[in-house]
Amino acid sequence: MVLLNGDADLPRELLGNKGHGVDVMRRHNLPVPPAFCITTEVGLRYLADPKAAVDAIWDDVLDRMSWLEAETSHTFGRGPRPLLVSVRSGATLSMPGMMDTILNLGMNDAVEKALAAHGSAAFARDTRRRFTSMYQRIVGGESNPVPTDAHAQLRAGIEAVFASWNSPRAVAYRAHYGLDDRGGTAVVVQAMVFGNHNPNSGAGAFFSRNPITGANEPFGEWLPGGQGDDVVSGLVDVEPITALRDEQPAVYDELMDSARRLERLGCDMQEIEFTVEDGKLWLLQTRAAERSAQAAVRLALQLRHEGLIDDAETMRRVTPAHVETLLRPALQPETRLTAPLLAKGLPACPGVVSGKAYTDVDAALDAADQGEQVILVRDHTKPEDVLGMLAAQGIVTEVGGAASHAAVVSRELGRVAVVGCGQGVAASLAGKQITVDGYEGEVRDGNLPLSAWSETDTPELRELADVARRISPLRAHATGDHPRLDDTSEAAVRAAMDAGYADVASATPLIIMLTALRLAGQVGP
Amino acid sequence: MTELAVLQAVRLKGRVTPADLATTLGEDLDGITATVEQLTESGLLIEGTTLRISPSGRARLETLLAEERKDVDSAAIAAAYHDFRAVNTDFKSLVTDWQLKGGPKGKPNAHDNAEYDAAVLARLDDVHSRVVPIIGAAATQLPRLNAYSSKLLVALGKVKNGETAWLARPLIDSYHTVWFELHEELISAVGLTREEAARSGDAQ
Repeated sequence: MVLLNGDADLPRELLGNKGHGVDVMRRHNLPVPPAFCITTEVGLRYLADPKAAVDAIWDDVLDRMSWLEAETSHTFGRGPRPLLVSVRSGATLSMPGMMDTILNLGMNDAVEKALAAHGSAAFARDTRRRFTSMYQRIVGGESNPVPTDAHAQLRAGIEAVFASWNSPRAVAYRAHYGLDDRGGTAVVVQAMVFGNHNPNSGAGAFFSRNPITGANEPFGEWLPGGQGDDVVSGLVDVEPITALRDEQPAVYDELMDSARRLERLGCDMQEIEFTVEDGKLWLLQTRAAERSAQAAVRLALQLRHEGLIDDAETMRRVTPAHVETLLRPALQPETRLTAPLLAKGLPACPGVVSGKAYTDVDAALDAADQGEQVILVRDHTKPEDVLGMLAAQGIVTEVGGAASHAAVVSRELGRVAVVGCGQGVAASLAGKQITVDGYEGEVRDGNLPLSAWSETDTPELRELADVARRISPLRAHATGDHPRLDDTSEAAVRAAMDAGYADVASATPLIIMLTALRLAGQVGP
Repeated sequence: MTELAVLQAVRLKGRVTPADLATTLGEDLDGITATVEQLTESGLLIEGTTLRISPSGRARLETLLAEERKDVDSAAIAAAYHDFRAVNTDFKSLVTDWQLKGGPKGKPNAHDNAEYDAAVLARLDDVHSRVVPIIGAAATQLPRLNAYSSKLLVALGKVKNGETAWLARPLIDSYHTVWFELHEELISAVGLTREEAARSGDAQ
């Protein structure tokens, strides 16, 4: 059990990512609601023997709750100024959306009444509704009443979050990504701040730089009047993060300053969750963000220019796989994001193709016979559609999941497919020139061109190669009178190094050097 | 070969060569030629490089299907369809696991892990043993459907013989092709359109 008041300074393995991030932010006096962490060690004990594990820490939990009460001058489970808490999962592995979190915990009739007295009846009612539905969904038993005792809620909430480590979706996620099953999760109990409080409130989640293109500008979402789970649910229409600049400029400036500080502390782009309550900014979570290959290259160069990372770290941030991805023809993110999004569904078969949308199979077959590039767009697919699917470049359906007949057939035929785009999509797309993106599950307007980066022509890759040549044990050049090395496999690069070569010529010098640096142990894997 | 069986087969295939039509009907070419010629002459089928159904053929097919269903016990068909839905989900997840590793959002299966592939294919026996009685129950009402059991068995035999294309390849009577058509038959026998079935959350 650890207070996250900034001096915990314990390893990420013990606090989980969330707890670690909160502690770092508190240490640097950033505005973070007070919180404590029940460590991954307890999480592991819970999985072995749930009751004994919680019994053993329960007195400590109550003690830390008293600390939260003192920090916030609120009281848990009663008025006049009730303390509500969030109970958040925090594994060491990043498993976005896989684990459970309960917000607004510590709610009962008396608490709702007190919230209404201090805020508004609508706010109190909305907060209670949110709590009840989330508690029932996560703790279980929609028929069971939610206990009125706030401490009983807390105990059940902590147990449910620990248990969510072994939820089917979390297990499947780890199996898919080959992640260690034994890590367990920590639990962070944090004083609630309310994005649903009044018109000067809201919640958001954003990246300090664009994780898709790598552009140095914030990218993300802001939801006035909402709580954090609304933002990530995908069920509510959110605004771009820049809308906050227009609505609450001072808060936006403070948020951007905080983002820059967090970037400097983490030496990396950050993904940040925040809440604004009555015009006051609160940071809830920060972590290094996932990024595209394009963004990986551009961010590494930007951070190096800003002096946040050195040459070796720059080379660690870009992997040979990133560069290989960039050298293949693809829909570049800048192209993708500037074309209007016409439909969104589930990616069923990867690839990017363009063509004219046909909703009728016979018309599609005729057009394909004439040599036209055809996209077959159907509300649902029938057996007799299969020939049309074969003749088409890509397939879009209104109804159907990623294991639907249409998805199964598209994968067998190797046809790019996006399924389950929603009713009305076929009619809205009919006759248009569209691009189907089977990686992102998107349909965009127009025939979007595919293009690839090049080691010789793309400035970012040339700059990266220049940096690599300064530190790589094997310098690779696009031209010059050197032994040739076009095989980028680890074995070939190792053989060249073992042969004592210092310089080689290659069609892909950057990939050679990134591999050599990894083999020499000068940068991490 | 009945008019109904031929029209339905052509409709389900979309466009089909006479030879493939004969195969899917379990006949040799001679066995269907007379029926096909007669249907073409009366304008119900359109003959080009392939056969396809005409609008009037589609209408005729609907009439024949309605006649076929006139005296069936709709509760028995509904029960068969209900049972089919559960095994349908399991079969499609089997095929998805064959195609992708890591579930619907997974990566393409490169078929480089014999153990993984064998474990997926082993599930087909269970699917088959569950679907056969369902077809049998439906066929007590619509005897024509018995043909699907035979065609599934042929595909199963090929898959078990190592010809794994017969699990899901389109345009041949692979296990999935036959299954997809059977699904279509059951949806229409139970009185739903595929659209209605799809919107009610199955038939996907």
